[in-house]
Parts: sequence; C-alpha cells; structure tokens
Amino acid sequence: MLKIKQTEMPQLLNAWAQKSRVFVPQDRGGVSAFLPWDGKGTLTLGKGNTLEPPKDIFFPRTETMYRYQVAEAATTLETMPPQKEQHVLVGIRSCDARSLEIMDDVFLTKGYEDEFYRQKRENTVVIALACNEALPTCFCTAFEIDPGRAEGVDVQMWMTSDSYLVEAITDKGEELLKQTSELLTPVENETLPDAAKPTLKVDVEGITEKLQQMFEHLYWAEVSRKCLGCGACTYLCPTCHCFDIQSENRGSSGFKFRCWDSCMFSEYTRMAGGHNPRPSKKERMRNRFLHKLQYIPERYGKYGCVGCGRCLDRCPVNVDITRVIREIKEVTL
Amino acid sequence: MSSIQEQMRIRARELLTSGQVQMVIGWEKGSFWYLSPPVFITDPAEVDRLIWDEFCTHNLAKYLLDYKLSEDKIALFVKGCDTRGINRLLQDNQIQRDKVYLIGIKCSGIKDGRQAQVLGEERKGEVPLAYKCSYCTSPAPLVYDELIEGTDDSKVKSENFKGTGRYELVEKIEAMTPDERYAFWTGHYDRCLRCYACRNICPACNCRECIFDRSQSGWCGKQMNRSENLYFAITRAMHVAGRCIECGECERACPVGIPIMALNQKIIKEINDLFGEYEAGVDLEMKPPMVQYNSDDPDEFE
Repeated sequence: MLKIKQTEMPQLLNAWAQKSRVFVPQDRGGVSAFLPWDGKGTLTLGKGNTLEPPKDIFFPRTETMYRYQVAEAATTLETMPPQKEQHVLVGIRSCDARSLEIMDDVFLTKGYEDEFYRQKRENTVVIALACNEALPTCFCTAFEIDPGRAEGVDVQMWMTSDSYLVEAITDKGEELLKQTSELLTPVENETLPDAAKPTLKVDVEGITEKLQQMFEHLYWAEVSRKCLGCGACTYLCPTCHCFDIQSENRGSSGFKFRCWDSCMFSEYTRMAGGHNPRPSKKERMRNRFLHKLQYIPERYGKYGCVGCGRCLDRCPVNVDITRVIREIKEVTL
Repeated sequence: MSSIQEQMRIRARELLTSGQVQMVIGWEKGSFWYLSPPVFITDPAEVDRLIWDEFCTHNLAKYLLDYKLSEDKIALFVKGCDTRGINRLLQDNQIQRDKVYLIGIKCSGIKDGRQAQVLGEERKGEVPLAYKCSYCTSPAPLVYDELIEGTDDSKVKSENFKGTGRYELVEKIEAMTPDERYAFWTGHYDRCLRCYACRNICPACNCRECIFDRSQSGWCGKQMNRSENLYFAITRAMHVAGRCIECGECERACPVGIPIMALNQKIIKEINDLFGEYEAGVDLEMKPPMVQYNSDDPDEFE
C-alpha cells in the first residue's frame, strides 16, 4: 500500500497529467463534476459525490460517429480516428464503479462491442475513492455495493484525516502508480478508515419478480402524476445510456453524431408516422423503473440502479426511487 | 382558528366527499425535511397526506395541463405566485376557469430547499427565504374560489419581503463587458443537460408541442454543445417574454443550478422600460405587452 498527503494530491494529478488526460472531481459553477485537471481547478475530491456521474468520459453527451461528403454520384465516408489519448479517472465512488460494470455489460457484451465506448474504456485507468461518509440520499448498500471498496477498478484509494492510502488492484493500476513512485510512500499495516454507512435503507429483494407482473398495474398512473417528464433523472443517472443518432447537414457534406437521449421525452418513442407507443408520462416513467429494476436484471443479472441517489437529490418533484421500490413491494396485484 | 394545514385537509375532504371536485392537488411531506412535493388526492381517506409548511414551493398550476381534456373538476391549493400561473394559463386559453376550484393561501414566504439541504436539519432556523420571495409583489392569492385564513398577516408583508433585489443579478450582468457576459452565460449553459425541467415546470411554457421536442425540424439540433444549449436558453427566454410570472420554478427545478431567472428578468426589465410596467399574470384583462400593438410603441428603427 502507498500513501500521499492530501496536500500533495495536486502534484500527483499534475504528474499523471503529463502523459494522460486526468479527470477528477472539481467545482464548476457550484456543481461537482469529473473535469479535466489543468492544475488550476478547485478540487472537490473526497467531498460527497459528484453531481454529474462519470459516464460522459466513456459515453460523451455528444459524439461524432463519422463524416460524409457527397459529390455527384459518389459518397465518401470519413471514419473518426481511433482514440489514442490515455485517460485517468480519479476518485469515483463505489456506486459509480458499479455503474461502469453495467455500462460495460450494455456496450461490450451480448454480441456487439461499441467501438467508441470500448476505446475510451480501454484507454482509461479508473481510480476509486472509498466513502467515509454517506449522504442522506445514498443507498448503495441496498445493491450490495461496498462503499469502502469498489468493484472492477484499477486503483483503490481511501481518505484518512490528512492523507490518501492508495492500492493498485490491476496491472494497469500498478503501471500508473509506478510512473509516479517518487510521490507515493510505501506503507505497511495502515488501518483503513471505516466505510460509510448509508442511512437510507431499501430492500430490493423480489422486486424484479414483482415487477414482472405489474406492467398493466394502476400504480403507474398514480405514481407518475407528479412527474414533470423532464430528463434530469436520466441524465444524472450513472447507468442511463440511451442515445439518439442524428446528422448535421451542411450542403453536400455533414456528419453523424450520437447524443444522450432520455426515455422520459415524448420524442424518444415517437415513430415516423406519428404514433407513440409511450404516449404519456405514465408509460415513460414505468419504462424507467422497469428498465432499472426488471429489464437490466433480467438481461445482465444485476440491478440497473446503483443507489448513488442523484435522481432522488435533484428530481424537481421528489420522485424517490427508494419510495417507489417500497410502494411496488406493497401494492396488491 | 385551526391551522392552515387542518383547514386544507377539512376542505379537501368536503370537496371530494360531496363530489364537487374529483381531485385535489396540494403538497405532501417528501423524502426529507426540506422537501414538500406535489400530491394528488382522489380518495377522501387520503386527505391527511396534505401538508402546509415553509417548503411548499411548487407551483401546482402547470399540472392542470395534464387534465386539460378530462371532464373532472380539480381543486388546487394556490399561493400568490401560483395564482399568477393560473392567470397565465387562463389568458393563454389553456384551462377553463369553471373546471378548477382554487383554494387560496396567503403566503408568508417559502424557504430555499436547496440551502436547507446544505445547512442540515440542526440549522433549520437559519434557512433563508427563497430568493424569489424576497421581491415578491403578490404574496396573497389574486384569484381564488375561497381563501384559507390563518396566515400571520404581519408576516405576509414585512421585512421578509424587501421588495428589492429583483434585478440584483441582472444589473450585475449588465455591468459586465461583453466578453465577461459571454463567459458568464457560456460558463453556466455549458453545464445545461437539456433535461428541459425548466420548460416542463413553467406555466408559461404551454405550447402543445415544443420546438425542442422536434429535433429534426431543422430549427434546432439535439447536440449537447455550447451552440445548441445557448440556442435553447435564448429561445425559451424569448418564448416566455412578457409572459413569465416570475415564480422562479425554472431555476429551482434546474438540476445543475443555472441562474435562469436572470435571463427572464433581463427581458422583463427591458419590456418594462420599453412598454411600461407590466406584471404578467396579475391582471387577467390586461394583454401581455408582446401580444398587443400600440401606435405609440417605441420604434428604434424609425
């Protein structure tokens, strides 16, 4: 295990930033997000969780897929150059680490590998930071996530009163730490700080099975009444991964891009002829909860929610997924 | 005199039981002490969910659009600012007055839930008023079918309401150089997620179909970048020009804290300077300045 003083963290980030693009929680207009480190930003590392999840580092809000040019009868396509840039993602919490595993399932398994995602994922060293303190909106333990140690990351860090303890988990992580060994002091027999204990509890046992019988249940009309149909929950969710593909034309040339989309929007399911199989917020909200708690578990064997609490924190009308889970478990079929 | 909350419950029960209304929309206690989200009650047995506290900030008027085509009559609890939302919808021919039963509550100001969250429950007493309440001009409901008594009138118009500060941020931004101003707005709108919470909560945003729900129209694009985000911001601000009732719900709903009201209030300030003082949603008979023409309107291109 290695150790570095909290005050020396900027130096470590600077050192990594020599070779890679380093994403670390920083303040942007009062909002904490994983932003590229340029040595000048205000670090929010270790202060709660970021408001914006780390997903856009692997799955950007908007991403060009290819460019095209039409000249008379000939069309030329220009594919995007492979991403060579190395990334270091510093300070993700255990909940967000789980979210990357879910994103991996979606983008890399079941017979299709999303090239855009894969490149960024492979070129990124992921460093987790254990949680010492839970926010009132945190409920990761409901999904058997350990706030004190993340899954599937390259390096794990813990915050003590004045330092960070750092442990390489994978070869990729080992490699990164070796590059900056002069800044990291080897230590032995360090006691790890106690992991956070989320106070928000919810029992998800049996929720998928219950939902399988609830597609037509009246509950959805009730629970969706206050929903505004905005996309705040889906855009702040670390596992929501829907996108739309559109093109931007300028005369005879243009480009195709994909950008985040949200199942909470009417346009999301509107078909070419105008028909919309999810005509109201009832169907849209139902889809969101079924996706998180039924469809993803059925397809990938894990829940699509990681208990980060972002949707619960920012929903303008307090649609609370923990309350929804509790209510679903109580309704009569 | 029973408390406002008790009266709310009594009246809701009576209205539902007698069949005068089929639904009551009010507020209930949410997941945390600083949240009092909307609640929809159709069963008289559930009226005890209704609450009244300093976090009943939601303007419930917009929900009436969800029941526009319903035959039901709906009772709605309204604060002063909420009634301006009602007038907005009435003026825009979005709702029928006789299908809504309005129960007014004189408001002594709502607390800022986001700051409450930061301060924590131990420091509950220090939670400030929501910024919008500091310059509120209509704490008492402007339109209602009945008024619930019990609000401490001394608080309804007191030092709580400074009556100033409405253009505080607007004036700060006006004093900036164009470059500073550009940096200010791009800094904020680079964060915009295009979740449309601001639009969806806004009583003035009542188009049957929003331009931003037609991303292939050619007018606007779906890319989340600076250009499209600013286009969204400006378009929405212009579409609510002269119609924004200053309930501040857009800014409260914004998950990434964009000071949207500064944009709206800049436009309000300009309209007032050009066409005379106008408070949207206050007088049902007075036409919004952007939908009428007077031959003596200023014309800078003359």
